[in-house]
Amino acid sequence: MAVIPLAAHFHGDFVIKLLPVDSGDTMDQVAAAAAANAVGIHVADQPGRTLRVRKQGAETPYPRTTTVADSGLEPTECVEIYFE
Amino acid sequence: MALLERAQWYDIARDTEWTPRYVTLAELFPPELSGGEGLPDEIWSTYDEPYKISYREYVDIQRQKDAGAYSVKAALERADLYNKADPGWISILKEHYAAVALVEYGASFQEARFIRWSKAPGMRNMATFGMLDEIRHGQIQLYFPHEYVSKDRQFEWSHAAMFTDNWVTLGARHFFDDVMMTRDALSTSIFANFSFETGFTNLQFIGLSGDAAKAGDFTFSKLIQSIQSDEARHAQLGTPLLQMLIENGQKDVAQKKIDIAFWRSYRLFTILSGIPMDYYVPLEVREASFKEFMEEWIVTQFMRSLEDLGLSKPWYWDIFLRDISEHHHGQHLGTYSWRPTLWWNPAAGVSPEERDWLEEKYPGWNDTFGKVWDVMIDNFVHGRTDKTVPGTLPVICNVSQLPIVGTPSQTLRDISIVHEGRRYHFASEVDKWIFEDDPERYRHHKNLVDRFLGGDIQPADLGGVLEYMGLGTVGPGGDDAHGFAWVETYRKQLAKAG
Repeated sequence: MAVIPLAAHFHGDFVIKLLPVDSGDTMDQVAAAAAANAVGIHVADQPGRTLRVRKQGAETPYPRTTTVADSGLEPTECVEIYFE
Repeated sequence: MALLERAQWYDIARDTEWTPRYVTLAELFPPELSGGEGLPDEIWSTYDEPYKISYREYVDIQRQKDAGAYSVKAALERADLYNKADPGWISILKEHYAAVALVEYGASFQEARFIRWSKAPGMRNMATFGMLDEIRHGQIQLYFPHEYVSKDRQFEWSHAAMFTDNWVTLGARHFFDDVMMTRDALSTSIFANFSFETGFTNLQFIGLSGDAAKAGDFTFSKLIQSIQSDEARHAQLGTPLLQMLIENGQKDVAQKKIDIAFWRSYRLFTILSGIPMDYYVPLEVREASFKEFMEEWIVTQFMRSLEDLGLSKPWYWDIFLRDISEHHHGQHLGTYSWRPTLWWNPAAGVSPEERDWLEEKYPGWNDTFGKVWDVMIDNFVHGRTDKTVPGTLPVICNVSQLPIVGTPSQTLRDISIVHEGRRYHFASEVDKWIFEDDPERYRHHKNLVDRFLGGDIQPADLGGVLEYMGLGTVGPGGDDAHGFAWVETYRKQLAKAG
């Protein structure tokens, strides 16, 4: 387990934010961590909808149980987090 | 009374030149300091400065300028305009003085380097006056805010900011080191004197002095006018050099220098001018938007000066035209959200009336940037102030050193590359192009986030970051300029809606 800093683009936000996550975190946990820095701060909540994570520019999100270590993401690479 | 008219003796006095016998020309003017490789040696004596002045005339004019600015200051101190000014305007003063005053001293070193290293006698002569200009600008812009220190400790940043690692300072220093302090004399003159001063400083000072007068701050207005009239003269130092490059087959070299300096200058001015013009200047005295200002002074007038020389618009012109409608809105949201990291108190500038103005000037603002403000306003109205300052850092561009921002749900994107094992982030394709054109120049610098992740900032939390940046040490950090009085309108709207 190690801290991996990512760059987070939460859809609806105006700025890319630094997002420290753990290599063992699942994508659901990454999404929750990103939401803590964005939802209710700069982005309105959308209750009832699921948050997904994808690599910036990818068409499809990571499976929700994929870990950061398994995703192949490198330190400070940018992920997009969005309501599905 | 002079016996001769200036025109009768100026050229022979200015052209005083010698032929080195004990050293080679390359030893006297090392290429890495002088620049102009590939230009024939004989061309330097043809440098013809567009603005000619004698030392006697210079001293007389400067004395009059100083007398005017200082007498206005003395007269208006008694009127206590400071305490009557809108807090948004005071924030502009704090931002301006700390970002500019010490840099002016740096500019005097820049001009001093021209005096020693420029191969053109005419340029060395004019740079002597330029150096004196910049010393004056440093002194007057430290002296004027000094009286405000007793009223507000944030004015201590006027002198101290450039000695700190505040993130705005990191951005300004990176820019000025790049364009003003670390290039050869010819390049520096095109980067700093032509692109930065002609394109931005000179024109920004005209706009700012007008805003100051409308806001009732005649002291600042007079100060800015006094400086601007110097800039209008020494900003022209680079123009003859551009002509030399173009006439000797180096048009591409000239164009690239302008393309780099123009973008870097523009991005810095989105903070220094863009935010204050559209959000801090009180609405009742606000006239032109930042976009309108850019369209008038930069898009039209500066581009005309480029085309007059036979040069072209920068390759990223379409990107630039789109950017002037959006980038500074993102930077304003960023600076306001992370306001404890500023040395000034930002004015939110988003009351209902101000939002109407923003929507008129920037159609679509309410549906993009306004959505973010809606969330923030909701927090303010409901007393959730802990949620109005983010708990993490923004990702910072490795060229501009500014947060990577964009229009929500439209243009926000991280652009990154891996260079020699290190990942670099950029706020635009232009910043990436600047880096890739000369990675050795930029690759070693660490932006604020690089320093944070590298362990340079301890403890690695918001408190550690603030201490690293000098907040609470040099002077207090920022908070809302108007003490959140603007939130009351929204609170009343909420109460009325039940």
